[in-house]
Amino acid sequence: MQLMDWTRRSLLAAAGAGAMALGLGLPVQAQTPPGVLVVGQIAEPKALDPAAVTAVNDFRILMNVYDGLVRYKSGTLEVEPALAESWTISEDGTEYTFKLRDGVMFHDGSAFNADVVKFNFDRMLKEDHPYHNTGPFPLSFFFSAVESVDVIDAQTVKFKLNAPYAPFLSNLAYPTGLIVSQAAVEQHGADFGRNPSGTGPFKFAEWRSNEAVVVEKNPDYWDGAASLEAVVYRPITDANTRTAEMLAGGIDLMVEVPPVALSEFQTDAYRVSEQAGPHVWFLILNAKEGPFADKLVRQAANYAVNKAALVNDVLEGTAEVAAGPTPPAFAWAYNEALEPYPYDPERAKALLAEAGMQNPSVTFFVTEGGSGMLDPVAMGTAIQADLEAVGFSVKIQTYEWNTFLGEVNPGLEGKADMAEMAWMTNDPDTLPFLALRTEAWPDKGGFNSGYYSNPQVDALLDEARTATDQGRRAELYKEMQTIVHDDAPWVFVANWKQNAVTSSKVDNFQLEPSFFLLLKDVVKN
Amino acid sequence: MRLFLRLLARNRLALAGAVVLGFVVLLVLMTPVLPLAEPNITNTADRFQRPFTPGHLLGTDHLGRDLLSRLLWGTRLSLAVGFSAAVIAATIGAAIGIVAGYFGGRTDNLIMRGVDMLMAFPYILLALAIVAALGPGLMNALIAVAAVNVPFFARNIRGITVGIAHKEFVDAAKLSGMGHGRIILSEILPNVLPVIVIAMSTTVGWMILETAGLSFLGLGSQPPQADLGSMLGEARAALITSPHTSVVPGVMILIIVMSINLLGDGVRDALDPRLRSGALTRPMAATLVDRDSVPEPSGDGILTLDGIETQFHVGDRIYRAVGGVSLSVGPGECLGLIGESGSGKSVTALSIMGLVASPPGVITGGAARYRGRDLIGMPYRELRRLRGDRIAYIFQDPLATLHPLYRVGDQLAEAIRCHHAIGRAEAHDRAIELLKSVRIPNPESRARSYPHEMSGGMRQRVGIAMALANDPDVIIADEPTTALDVTVQAQILSLLNDLRRDRGLAIVFITHDFGVVAQLCDRVAVMYAGRIVEEGPTAEILARPAHPYTSRLIDCVPELGGGRRELAAIPGLPPSVDDLPAGCAFAPRCDKKQSSCAVGEVALKPRDGRAVRCLYPDWRPA
Amino acid sequence: MGSYILKRLLSAIPVLLGITIIVFAIMAMIPGDPATAILGSYATPENVEKLNRDLGLDKPAAARYFIWLGNMLTGDFGQSFALNRPVIHEVLERFSATLVLAGTAFVLCCFFGILAGVVSASRQYGLADKAITFAVLLGISIPSFFLGMMMILLFAVSLKWLPVSGMYAIYGGGDLWDLLKHLAMPATALAVVATGVIARLSRSAMLEVLRQDFIRTARAKGVSEHRVIWGHALRAAMVSIIPVLGIQAGFVLSGAVYIEIVFQWPGVGRMLVDAILKRDILLVQGGVVLVAACYVIFNIMVDVAQSLLDPRIKT
Repeated sequence: MQLMDWTRRSLLAAAGAGAMALGLGLPVQAQTPPGVLVVGQIAEPKALDPAAVTAVNDFRILMNVYDGLVRYKSGTLEVEPALAESWTISEDGTEYTFKLRDGVMFHDGSAFNADVVKFNFDRMLKEDHPYHNTGPFPLSFFFSAVESVDVIDAQTVKFKLNAPYAPFLSNLAYPTGLIVSQAAVEQHGADFGRNPSGTGPFKFAEWRSNEAVVVEKNPDYWDGAASLEAVVYRPITDANTRTAEMLAGGIDLMVEVPPVALSEFQTDAYRVSEQAGPHVWFLILNAKEGPFADKLVRQAANYAVNKAALVNDVLEGTAEVAAGPTPPAFAWAYNEALEPYPYDPERAKALLAEAGMQNPSVTFFVTEGGSGMLDPVAMGTAIQADLEAVGFSVKIQTYEWNTFLGEVNPGLEGKADMAEMAWMTNDPDTLPFLALRTEAWPDKGGFNSGYYSNPQVDALLDEARTATDQGRRAELYKEMQTIVHDDAPWVFVANWKQNAVTSSKVDNFQLEPSFFLLLKDVVKN
Repeated sequence: MRLFLRLLARNRLALAGAVVLGFVVLLVLMTPVLPLAEPNITNTADRFQRPFTPGHLLGTDHLGRDLLSRLLWGTRLSLAVGFSAAVIAATIGAAIGIVAGYFGGRTDNLIMRGVDMLMAFPYILLALAIVAALGPGLMNALIAVAAVNVPFFARNIRGITVGIAHKEFVDAAKLSGMGHGRIILSEILPNVLPVIVIAMSTTVGWMILETAGLSFLGLGSQPPQADLGSMLGEARAALITSPHTSVVPGVMILIIVMSINLLGDGVRDALDPRLRSGALTRPMAATLVDRDSVPEPSGDGILTLDGIETQFHVGDRIYRAVGGVSLSVGPGECLGLIGESGSGKSVTALSIMGLVASPPGVITGGAARYRGRDLIGMPYRELRRLRGDRIAYIFQDPLATLHPLYRVGDQLAEAIRCHHAIGRAEAHDRAIELLKSVRIPNPESRARSYPHEMSGGMRQRVGIAMALANDPDVIIADEPTTALDVTVQAQILSLLNDLRRDRGLAIVFITHDFGVVAQLCDRVAVMYAGRIVEEGPTAEILARPAHPYTSRLIDCVPELGGGRRELAAIPGLPPSVDDLPAGCAFAPRCDKKQSSCAVGEVALKPRDGRAVRCLYPDWRPA
Repeated sequence: MGSYILKRLLSAIPVLLGITIIVFAIMAMIPGDPATAILGSYATPENVEKLNRDLGLDKPAAARYFIWLGNMLTGDFGQSFALNRPVIHEVLERFSATLVLAGTAFVLCCFFGILAGVVSASRQYGLADKAITFAVLLGISIPSFFLGMMMILLFAVSLKWLPVSGMYAIYGGGDLWDLLKHLAMPATALAVVATGVIARLSRSAMLEVLRQDFIRTARAKGVSEHRVIWGHALRAAMVSIIPVLGIQAGFVLSGAVYIEIVFQWPGVGRMLVDAILKRDILLVQGGVVLVAACYVIFNIMVDVAQSLLDPRIKT
């Protein structure tokens, strides 16, 4: 099979116009040609169907192939028009009417219109939809508030919500809200994930399993054609190999640079970009049983962990110390008054003494990798050492990411006392709503794996979700953060500053607070 | 056991391995009391210190932990896990193998099919799946590594057990009513134990590598606990910036596994009886020659030996296998060389063309001249040109001396093509002619046979045909008939006799049997302890042996042309050639011995075309 | 010979059947499920349960086994949960990449292993022998992944002679030369251990053979030393070398996992590791069955080669 591919492959060489001739006879390190950007990805994408994937890694491709109705304004987390030119929201906040952009075509030649929008959301949300079986759609709950999608006319579409839902627009800007071609889904069915078609600045060209996903310029892009001819996404799961490839010139752009490797790129040949985003890295504490059922012990853990050393040394400054459950990237909802728990081992010991637990022993779930988990084994080990220093006795158990999720998401009860976790979200509502409410305990379908429960927090979150006024929402979130900070259901550790390294041949590259990788304006010389 | 240790100690490489390993083991045993930093104390500000920074001899890792301390603690763990895994795998595997091999039949079939299945399963995936099922952790990695190695042990031990299970002593034990369990424990196990130990000692290193591999994949030890594999795995992220964090555990693995392998080889060599003699050495293309002077030519035959001395140097010992033999043979003549086993007759014959295995053989003196040219010390190229072309050999036991994997026709053709640039087809035709000339029926189809498909007599004829391939001047036949029954022997002898007369061949015929000498040889030389003790025309010597040894030899032959004859009738044993007595070597066994026999060198004294090496020869009148 | 091969092939069937049972049982015993992997971070227990039902994982194990086996006999290996594509496509694609890697490594280790063993044996205790023995010892003692890492550091990052990873250049590649450049390091790293093992074995097999009487016969015939070593002795030594080659082929195939990870080679070993971790049950099962079948067939080939080489073996 592969053997036959060789000839095809040599013919293809994707969009690299004239690039092929370069490889022959040149020194080994044939550089990639101008106009073609090679991106070092952290993994093979699972699928290129935006409704079906959850990983940031996959979003980095999807955001360049598809558009949503709305998008985040460059450099912010504020929503601006994209495929929808404008929208109106009804007084009670339950009806969103979008005016769609005219004359936009999908890469497969089919037209973008209101019917397609309806198809997209019905496919995700309606279990009896003929193409619902192209799922599963793990993030469809982002739109669980949507009651119906109605086509008003070809260029107008109306979303009816069952209740006011403040994060709705923000969720539409999330990759799950990207619009796919109805014609392509109908043609490929479950294989759509490997034969994607969107409206974005790049169109899908080729997916060579475990080698590369290639997208090429969409010359007819409605927002102006991209500068690059093509982008090649190479999955290089091993961070070390990725670094080596970057140093050897095999890739032009590398995301999620291992902190220890950053020093290698402090030369003129590379540029390092940094951007704080809506990310929080924390330890879930089991508030239901064991030592962490006691708030004092939870606080002690927060005092005991040397977060500054973690972000500055282990993470080499690629993150900042987190103060509470909401990352500062959500500027409007972030409580500036909140100070991180200081590193104070004495205080921690005192709290443990006060709780009558000088030497609590705890089991600590650590993952080996995973979306947004930074350097989980090293961090877990350092945290373990910090906790041991104040009297905890900590037993680490490491799991591969998916196994880890399988262990953590159903709740820590009976298995562990603490677990690493990280979330990247697009709205201040998402994380606390899914992981801090009483109604979000695992048995109720949420991600509150540590069984934290505070009726006050529940009430604040419920209200913030339905409030239509952003000022009011901000107040509620800030109050929530103060309470959660004090209750310490988690050890708040870090807010990641996403980083990327580009070679000096790459211009106009910028990281977004949304953690998306937007390549439309990037130039490669 | 002491022998084992002595052999082990003699192997310098194994000793080096043992010393290094011993040092490492000592170091890790002492680790808890050594003044080391705590292996798990982090100090992130001091991370990635280079080696030789004060306080951190080998530097620090990504969390600022002392690498030396972690290295020693990690080595401790890795060694323990590797050894335990090897012991567990060996115990279980051996148990399965012994049961399968001992009971045989359906049990064996069933077990070995299971083993086949496990071996067809990619072992890393099996280990991975086991760890995935049990959860990560060093203990589980140990179980996985041990489990995947069980089939290898089982298969290995089964093979050995099958061989033992049919031995007499096992049958005897069964007849005496011993239970299976007892037989296995008391009869089988002691015999397979060395093999188990060998297999184990050679796999410990492999086990350590495999455990390291699993830890490297993050499935072994759990942080912060260090083992060498996980240290390597954790350090990998910083490979480019701080390679020392990877190199330190990597090199440690290398050192440990290397020393274990060296030691394992030593253990294997010491326990494997085949190697005990130290004989696993490769003979060189021609025997080493180390002689001070070349003696003057004495005889005038086509092949003349002048005082050939050949020794075997084994360790510190010197065996004087041939102690100055002079012989001469003319065209058309057949010279018999007779003596007991170990008398040096074969070594004398092999010395002529430099075919004595070397090491340990060395030709230390004398000359062997073919048409006046000294063959000893002749450049290899010239010697090779004469071998098989002018001077050819016929060996005893052609099943061993013919190449088992080549067809006999090809082996014959090769003998010709070594010396004559002729085509394949022509050589083949010639080979068939040769087979015909040694009276092999149906030579065309026989040429396509392999040696194992032929009878002993046929094979011997092939051996003779091969010697005749290039129409040589001299044939040296080394007990060519010993393995054959009497009728075949008679046929072969008459064949050789005809050839000698037809072609004018000179034959040196080596045997321990006077009956054979009488049939074929014109003259005979009797050897004892590496020297000729009597020489002369066959008929005369047979009729009137002068040397007591010769007469004893002849007495062993009950009747000429009769059945098989044994020389064991002479009381006592020939002397060991590394410790020859002074004076006459035969004296200790001689019933005519006088006190003077044990003093001084006894010379070979000629008389009337004969010669004898005896102070008191028995010269009977004709 | 033909009937012998047929007999061996038939006897492989129960082995393969056993392997399907083993791999199925192991995958059934491993805790965790593919649904979590598919749903990613947002896998709630509720969704997981529903998805497992959709995937047919709620059926009893025996039923699932026979459904799987039945489908496989009709050529349907099922669909990979995690990759959204037919198992057979993924496995064949990845397996051919592994074959390129492991095949090259195998050829390298056979060639250099036997060469080193023969040279070493024919110059026993000479300088060449000592040098080879030492190199071989190093080779069998070094973890292949460590060697691979060091090679990347030296040849790719520092010297920039060879590409770091992957099987083809993303641009300008695809030809044989490009493949060879990408193969050089991983194939070497993979071959080193097996080369050492084969060299050691070849050396002792050669020493064993060189002591045999038929070698003396060859020398007595006047056969040149070169031919004695490379013809007579090696031919006879191959009888004990070939079975080891068969075992080493299995090791090379298995050991490819580490190399594929270090060098990002798109091979089946890395795929299977990922698949086990992601509980991509059908992919693991299909992959293992294929790899095992390949291994079994290779072993049959080894036996056939053995019987062709050695006329004494009854077929």
